[in-house]
Amino acid sequence: MNNSKNINASRRAFLQRASVLSIAGAATPWALNLAAMAEASAANADDYKAIVCVFLYGGNDYANTLVPYDSPNYNVYAQLRPTLAYARDKLTGTVLDPMAAPVDRNGVSHQYALAPELAPLLPIFNAGKMGVLLNVGTLIQPTSKLEYGNKIVPLPPKLFSHNDQQSFWQSSAAEGATSGWGGRMGDLFEAGNGNATFTCVNVSGNAVYLSGNTAVQYQVSTNGSVPFNGLQAPLFGSASCSAALQSLITQSRPHLFENEYTRVTRRSIDANAALTTALAGAPNISTPFTATNDLAQQLKMVARMISAASTLGAKRQVFFVSMGGFDTHDGLLSTHPGLLSSVADALTSFYNATVELGVANKVTSFTASDFGRTLTGNNDGSDHGWGSMHFMLGGAVNGKRYYGTAPLVANGGDDDVGQGRLLPTTSVDQYAATLGKWLGVSDTDLLSILPNLKNYNVSARNLGFV
Amino acid sequence: MEEQLLDLDNPDGGDTDVLDKPAGLTAAALASAALLSACGGSGGNQSADNAVTSLAAAPPVPAPTVSISDVEAARFLAQASMGANRAAIARVQALGYAGWLEEQFSLPGNGSRWDWLVSKGLNASTYRNTQAGFDSTAWRKLISSPDTLRQRVTLALSEIIVISVDGLIGGGWKAFAAAAYLDMLEANCFGNYRDLLYKVSTSPAMGEYLTFRGNTKYDVLSGAYPDENYAREIMQLFSIGLIKLNLDATPQMVDGKPAETYGLDDITGLARIFTGWDFDLAGGKTDNPDFMRRPMTQVAIKHETGASTFLGKTVPAGLNGPDSLNAALDIIYAHANVAPFISRQLIQRLVTSNPSPAYVARVATVFNNDGSGSKGNLKAVVKAILLDDEARIGSNPAAAAFGKLREPMLRFLGWARAFNATASSDLWNIGTTSDPATRLGQSPLRSPSVFNYFRPGYVPPNSAIAQANLVAPEFQITNESSVVGYVNYMQKAVSNGVSDVNADYSSLMPLADNAAALLAELNLVLAAGQIGSSNLQNLVNAVNSMPSGTDNRRKQRIYAALTLVLAAPEFIVLK
Repeated sequence: MNNSKNINASRRAFLQRASVLSIAGAATPWALNLAAMAEASAANADDYKAIVCVFLYGGNDYANTLVPYDSPNYNVYAQLRPTLAYARDKLTGTVLDPMAAPVDRNGVSHQYALAPELAPLLPIFNAGKMGVLLNVGTLIQPTSKLEYGNKIVPLPPKLFSHNDQQSFWQSSAAEGATSGWGGRMGDLFEAGNGNATFTCVNVSGNAVYLSGNTAVQYQVSTNGSVPFNGLQAPLFGSASCSAALQSLITQSRPHLFENEYTRVTRRSIDANAALTTALAGAPNISTPFTATNDLAQQLKMVARMISAASTLGAKRQVFFVSMGGFDTHDGLLSTHPGLLSSVADALTSFYNATVELGVANKVTSFTASDFGRTLTGNNDGSDHGWGSMHFMLGGAVNGKRYYGTAPLVANGGDDDVGQGRLLPTTSVDQYAATLGKWLGVSDTDLLSILPNLKNYNVSARNLGFV
Repeated sequence: MEEQLLDLDNPDGGDTDVLDKPAGLTAAALASAALLSACGGSGGNQSADNAVTSLAAAPPVPAPTVSISDVEAARFLAQASMGANRAAIARVQALGYAGWLEEQFSLPGNGSRWDWLVSKGLNASTYRNTQAGFDSTAWRKLISSPDTLRQRVTLALSEIIVISVDGLIGGGWKAFAAAAYLDMLEANCFGNYRDLLYKVSTSPAMGEYLTFRGNTKYDVLSGAYPDENYAREIMQLFSIGLIKLNLDATPQMVDGKPAETYGLDDITGLARIFTGWDFDLAGGKTDNPDFMRRPMTQVAIKHETGASTFLGKTVPAGLNGPDSLNAALDIIYAHANVAPFISRQLIQRLVTSNPSPAYVARVATVFNNDGSGSKGNLKAVVKAILLDDEARIGSNPAAAAFGKLREPMLRFLGWARAFNATASSDLWNIGTTSDPATRLGQSPLRSPSVFNYFRPGYVPPNSAIAQANLVAPEFQITNESSVVGYVNYMQKAVSNGVSDVNADYSSLMPLADNAAALLAELNLVLAAGQIGSSNLQNLVNAVNSMPSGTDNRRKQRIYAALTLVLAAPEFIVLK
C-alpha cells in the first residue's frame, strides 16, 4: 500500500546511476547503459542466469515438511500434534545429513528429516545442490517475541491473512501492491535482454511478484503461447474480417480499461510470434516431467523457455510457477503428503532438466508460501502461521547445508507467537537479497528493490546459500 | 435538449473523445442528463423514441415515468441481468427501471439446481463420489432461468461469499452440495444479509469448504485447538474486512495507517463459536445427498460452551450451538463495516470497479436502513445500486474510467442470453470452462480459492489504471493466454455452439445480408451500443466483404460479426 515511495526511491536511484553512466559515455545507447548497470552482465554469449520462484499457495505446513528428528525435538513435535505427526520410523529414510548441524538460539543442535514424500529431493541435497532455509518469513525488521508482543516494532500488515501475506512475500506490501521484487529485479535486466517481454515470465496466474516498475510479467501456458485462431486463418473465410479483428483487439483506446485490455492483447500476439519461433528451434528435453502434475508441467515450460533463452536473447530471467491446495486446515494427513509428492517430483524433474540442458549452474529455484502454519493441530489440520521452512535448488547452490536459525519446537516458546506459529528469524528480504545478489543486482539496487533490507546488518543481507 | 441526448443511429465518440461515459452521450448531454435524473426517481434519461414498438409489444403495465432508449435499456440490462436481448430491452422500456426491478423481484425461476440433478437421476448412489452434473445444472440456470436479475445477484454473492465445488471435501455428493449452496444463495439474494450469514454459516457446503464441519472445541488431552479457518474468512471476506471503513468504504486512518479491524486473538476467540457443527444425517444415511441441503446440526459434546471473546465483545458461556452462533453473528453484523464493505463489492459486481465514495455511501446508507428501520435488506440494496444516478448516467467525476471489465463468464452468457441459447437435449454439457488458454479462464463456482477469481482491490501492475490509483478486479484473470483463449472459445461457440447448447439466430438471419443492420443489432444487444462509429464502420466493411444471399453465407456473416463484437474492447469493458 505504501509501496509507491519505494518505487520512487528505486526509480530515482536507477535514474541517478543511469545518468552517471550516460555522462561517462555520452554516445552510448541508453539500452546498453542499462545493461551495463547489471554487474554480472558479461559480454559472452554464455552469460545467463535465472531464478525460479515456486510458490506454494495456501501456506505450507512447515512441521510436516521439515520434521524435527532428533529425539528430544521429535518428541515435542509428536506431543504437540499427536494426530498429525509422522511416525518417527517413517522418517529414517529421509533424515538429512548436512555438512553442519543447524543450531537454535540456545546453541543446541537440531536434526531434521524431510517428509517421506520429499525423498526424491534427498539425492539433490546430498549432492550439495539443495539448501534448506530455516524459519524464514515476512518481517519489516529483526523482531523479537517481546517486541512482537509489545507491538513496539513495525510488523508486516495483516499477518496470517492469505492474500496479504502472499502479497507481502512477493512485494513487501499488502494486497494492492503493484510491483514485486522479482519484477523490480527484472527492471534492471530487461534492457539487457534481447526481448524485454521475456524477462519476467509467469507460467501460473498473475502474481505481483513478477511486476516491476517497468518490467511487465509475461504469462505463458504450460503448452506455450496461444495464437488467435481468427488471425492464423481467415475468420470464417474472410481475410478482411481477420484484419478487422486484428485492428479491433490491438488498437489503443481512450478508456483506461479498454486500453489495458488491448495492451495485453498486443503483447500476447507479439510474444507468440517470437516465442513460437524460438521454441521450434530449441533442443528437445528428454527429462521426464509427470503429465498429471501441473507444477511439473509449469516447470517444464520454464525449462523449455530456458532452452530457448539464447534465441530470445535473454541474459537474465525471473520465472514464477505455483501450486495451490496448501491451506490444510482440514485433512492434513490425507492431502499434504500428496502435495509434497508433487512438489518433490516437479522440483526434481526441473533440476534434472537443467542438468540435461547444461545450465544447472545458471538456474536457481526456490520455494515460497503465504506463511507457515501452527505446530499444534486442530485435530485434522493446522492453522495459519508465519515463519516457515524453504528449499533452494540448483547447481550454484551451496547445498547440503542449512541456513538461518533452527526454531525451538514449542507451543509458546521463544520462537513462536502461540501454537507454534513461528516468529521468523530470517526475513524474506534476506532471502530475496541473496538471490538478487547472485543474479547480479548491486547492493545499492537491492536496497531499493527490497525497501526493508536496510534494517539488517550489511553482513546479514546475503545468506550465502548461492 | 432531449433529442440531443442520444442519437441511436449514429452512436459516436467511443473511439476518440469519450472516456467515461457511454457512447452516444456528449459531455453537454451528460450534464443535462444529470439534471434530468436528479428530478426523476428512476434516474432515467429522456431519449429518442425507439420505445414505441416495444411498448406495443409489452403486456399492459403501469407506464414508466420517462421513456428509455434501446441503448439505455441494454446498458441497464448489462448491469442488472445475465445479458440483454430484444425482449428484455422492450420489457425495461415498458416498465421503467424501477418497475422492471420490481417485476424481477417476484419473477419465479425455472426450478432449482438440485431438482435438475435429481431429475437426471444423479442422486443414485453411484454418483456419490463424483461431481457429475454440477457444471450443467449451474450453466442451465445462468443461461435459461427467466429471473435474470436474481441470477445476476446470486452470481455476485457467489463471488463474495465464495465456495468452490472442487473444495467440497468430506461428504461426497459435491454436485449436490454445490447446487444446494447456490440454491440457498438464490433463495436469499433478495432477503436479509444477516439471515444469509446464518444460512451460510450452517451450510454443509461452507462447512466443508472452510473446514469447520466436525470442528471440535479445545481438546485438553491432544492440545488441539478449534479450526480457525471459517472464523477468519467470515470476518475478512464475508462481513467486515481487514480495515476499518467509513460509510463510503474509504479506510479509517490512525497515525497515517489504515486501522485494522481485528487481530489474531479475535480469530482464536471467534473460532470457538464454530465448533460442534456437522452434517445432519437424520438417520445416518449418506447414500443419498439429502443431508447436503439440510442445514448442519449440532453435536453438543464438540461445541465450546465457555465464553468466547472477539471484536471487544463476549459471547457468554453456556449457550448452545445455534444460540452462540446467533450471538456471534449479531456481534459481527453490528460492526459498522458491514454496510460499506458489502455494498461496495456489490456495486463492483454489478456496475463499476471504482464507485465514487458518495455512491458507496448512498448504497451503504440503504444497507444500514432500508427506510423501514431494517438493516441488510438486499432487495433495497440492489435497487439502490442499480437506480443510482451514478449507475444510470455512467459517470463519476472521481474516477478516470467508469465501468468494469466484464468477467469472461458474463461475456459468454451475454451471447447465450442475447440469442436465447438452449440445450436441445437438456444436458447443458458446457462443462468446466476454467482453462484460460483454451476456454474462459473462469467457470461457475470454480474459483481457485475463497478469495474469488479476482480480488476487489486488484490493481493491474504497470498500467495507466494503477497510475490513476484505480482498481480493476477482473484484470486479475486477464493475461496473455486468457485474452486469446476467450476469443478462440467464443469463435467456436458462436458457430458450433457448445456441446448441446446452441443459440437461435433466427432474428439475425433477415439482417445478415445488410452488414450495417447486423452490426447495429449486435452492438445494441451485446455491447449496449458502446462500439463507436469508427470501429463499427470497420466491422461493417469487413462483414460486407463476405458473400451474401444464401442462408449459409448469412450464417457465416453472423458468426464473423458475433466474433468481432464479442472481441471488441467496447464490449469487453462495460461502461
